[in-house]
Amino acid sequence: MSTPERVHVALVYQSLLGIYGDRGNATVIVQRLRWRGFDPVLTVVEPGDPLPDDAQIYLLGGGEDAAQISAVRLLRADGALERAAERGAAVFAVCAGYQILGRTFTVGEHQDVTDGLGLLDVTTTRGPHRAVGELLGCWTAPDGQVHEITGFENHGGWTERGPDAEPFCTVEVGIGNGDGTDGAVSGSVIGLYPHGPLLARNPALADHVISVGLGRELEPLQHPEIDELRRQRLAAVRAGR
Amino acid sequence: MTSSTLQRRGAATGSQPLGRRLRLGAAVLAGRAAALASRLSGRGSGASIRGQVMLRLDPTALATLLQGRRIAAVSGTNGKTTTTHLLAAAVRAGLGADADRVVTNADGANLHHGIASALGQAPHADVAVLETDERVVADVVRLGRPEVLVLLNFSRDQLDRHHEIKALGRSWRNALEAAGADGPVVVANAEEPLIVWAAQTAREVVWVDTASRWQQDASLCPQCGAGLARTQPDPETGEGGDWSCTGCDLAEPRAALKVRDGQIIDTDGRRWDPRLQVPGGFNVGNAAHALAAAHLLGVGTEDALAGMRTVTSPGGRFATATIAGTTVRLVLAKNPAGWAEALPLARSETVVLAIDSAAADGRDVSWLWDVEYEQLRGRRVVCTGPRAQDLAVRLTYAEVDFAVEPDLAEALRLARAHGSAERSEPFDVIATYTPFQRLRRIGGIA
Repeated sequence: MSTPERVHVALVYQSLLGIYGDRGNATVIVQRLRWRGFDPVLTVVEPGDPLPDDAQIYLLGGGEDAAQISAVRLLRADGALERAAERGAAVFAVCAGYQILGRTFTVGEHQDVTDGLGLLDVTTTRGPHRAVGELLGCWTAPDGQVHEITGFENHGGWTERGPDAEPFCTVEVGIGNGDGTDGAVSGSVIGLYPHGPLLARNPALADHVISVGLGRELEPLQHPEIDELRRQRLAAVRAGR
Repeated sequence: MTSSTLQRRGAATGSQPLGRRLRLGAAVLAGRAAALASRLSGRGSGASIRGQVMLRLDPTALATLLQGRRIAAVSGTNGKTTTTHLLAAAVRAGLGADADRVVTNADGANLHHGIASALGQAPHADVAVLETDERVVADVVRLGRPEVLVLLNFSRDQLDRHHEIKALGRSWRNALEAAGADGPVVVANAEEPLIVWAAQTAREVVWVDTASRWQQDASLCPQCGAGLARTQPDPETGEGGDWSCTGCDLAEPRAALKVRDGQIIDTDGRRWDPRLQVPGGFNVGNAAHALAAAHLLGVGTEDALAGMRTVTSPGGRFATATIAGTTVRLVLAKNPAGWAEALPLARSETVVLAIDSAAADGRDVSWLWDVEYEQLRGRRVVCTGPRAQDLAVRLTYAEVDFAVEPDLAEALRLARAHGSAERSEPFDVIATYTPFQRLRRIGGIA
């Protein structure tokens, strides 16, 4: 029997960017790798620690204003995420993590502008109201298959895309970027608003992130419990519940 | 300890001008009628509707009702109801034969109208122990001038409202600052940076160290935004493990009471074994806060502990009841910090976990992924409540064996069927707020 292939996953600054159960995305990625026979290694990177330069997948979650600013300063000084994007590692970010990957974002009552990492051509400013609730989106995967995206969003900033960022999905219910789309994609970098265990509700997206990180396609996994959850959430959000 | 040492602050509502009293009296009567209607129609205890009607007829009713009483307010994210029950029992024990001088909102209705409702029912009770929602703390400090304010902890609760948490801390801080020398003595948890920052403006603080394990909600300094540093606790003694800011002078204050190995210890090294009936280390922490508050109200340690030992199932928490033919023990867990404390309490092989996302539970169930359900591996879980399927997916990833039955009563029957080989009844049921209250009602638990 051959040794299982090692896959390195980095969860970035859990204590700063982990407010909405965002570690759930790491739990999902690691478990789906394990179920497929890989040997996943999860590094939970905390502020002050350097990010690993050899991970295939980097995950960022949501956080409060002060935490978001601390995180972006540390990440800019670290430089590992830019290098990861350059070599084609998967960088997957939600909520405040998504905003951090953009060019600039604003926080607080005074709309102070903070520079992001510039990995996505998006800018975020305070929206006309806070976006809180279930989001339903429609995502066309690279193989042409269309998947519904179900998640929960909670953010004050709305996001404008520049010419170099494709939207991740269109929005049927919810706010997302604020223009009928949610998220942005550029190469191996993906960001979108629904936070926390987004990947738990969207296994096709989880596997897409793994595929990007590994640079190859995967066979799907069958989990009727997840299909049932998707069915329930999609029905609830379409019924306005 | 005799009741004479618990001095009265002055007659309760009797000292108000006659016009005020008449208006309040009409409001109390109208509220009472509404509460009766609510109880008769089976909609609830009536506490909340009673207060709502009173405050609509007389918007100043709460301020009036708070006047002339000695008040201890209890707030925080987790443990408010239990601590309020512990403190009320401690004060009653201190008052002996005069125990009916105490009024408390024992039912957990802790917003303006819930507090007004409890006070309106007891116009002559001159000592009030009030469970106070985090959003109402500033108003109670301003309107009621409490002598004691207990601040237990401050963590993520209801994620869809999470962005409010720092603003709430600031509202406490501002209210304490505005109250100045007339403000309460605060009894507060030294381990929580946001609590310590909020209580900095209080005229006096008695710090308590509960040796809690939950630190996930505090990584940045609430004062300056810099990172917080923590020293590792000594694995033998549990000492140390203090936090301090790397950017300013905010740091864990020295505690007057601390909890170690289930005992409460003061700065002179005196130890008390609380021997509570409510389970879990976090309830010893709650008792330490209640003990400090009781001392401030003039209750002696032995009386206070004797009173607290009479508390069994505050607001239905930890109550054992037979529901749908199944004997269960009910545990409430509202957020990741609460679940971290509640899950180790579950002893039965088959555990029922009830999840909802009504407004009172928080509409966002992302928190399920911050709870270490992996610790249930090897046992069986029945997932129930409207969001049972979200838990099912969480348990799939945690590789915990489970069944799904959204209906609460059916889920209990299912647990009994699965657990028929078990001798370890009662089955432990851990529930978020809304299913917890439903089970309380179905089980007839006070």
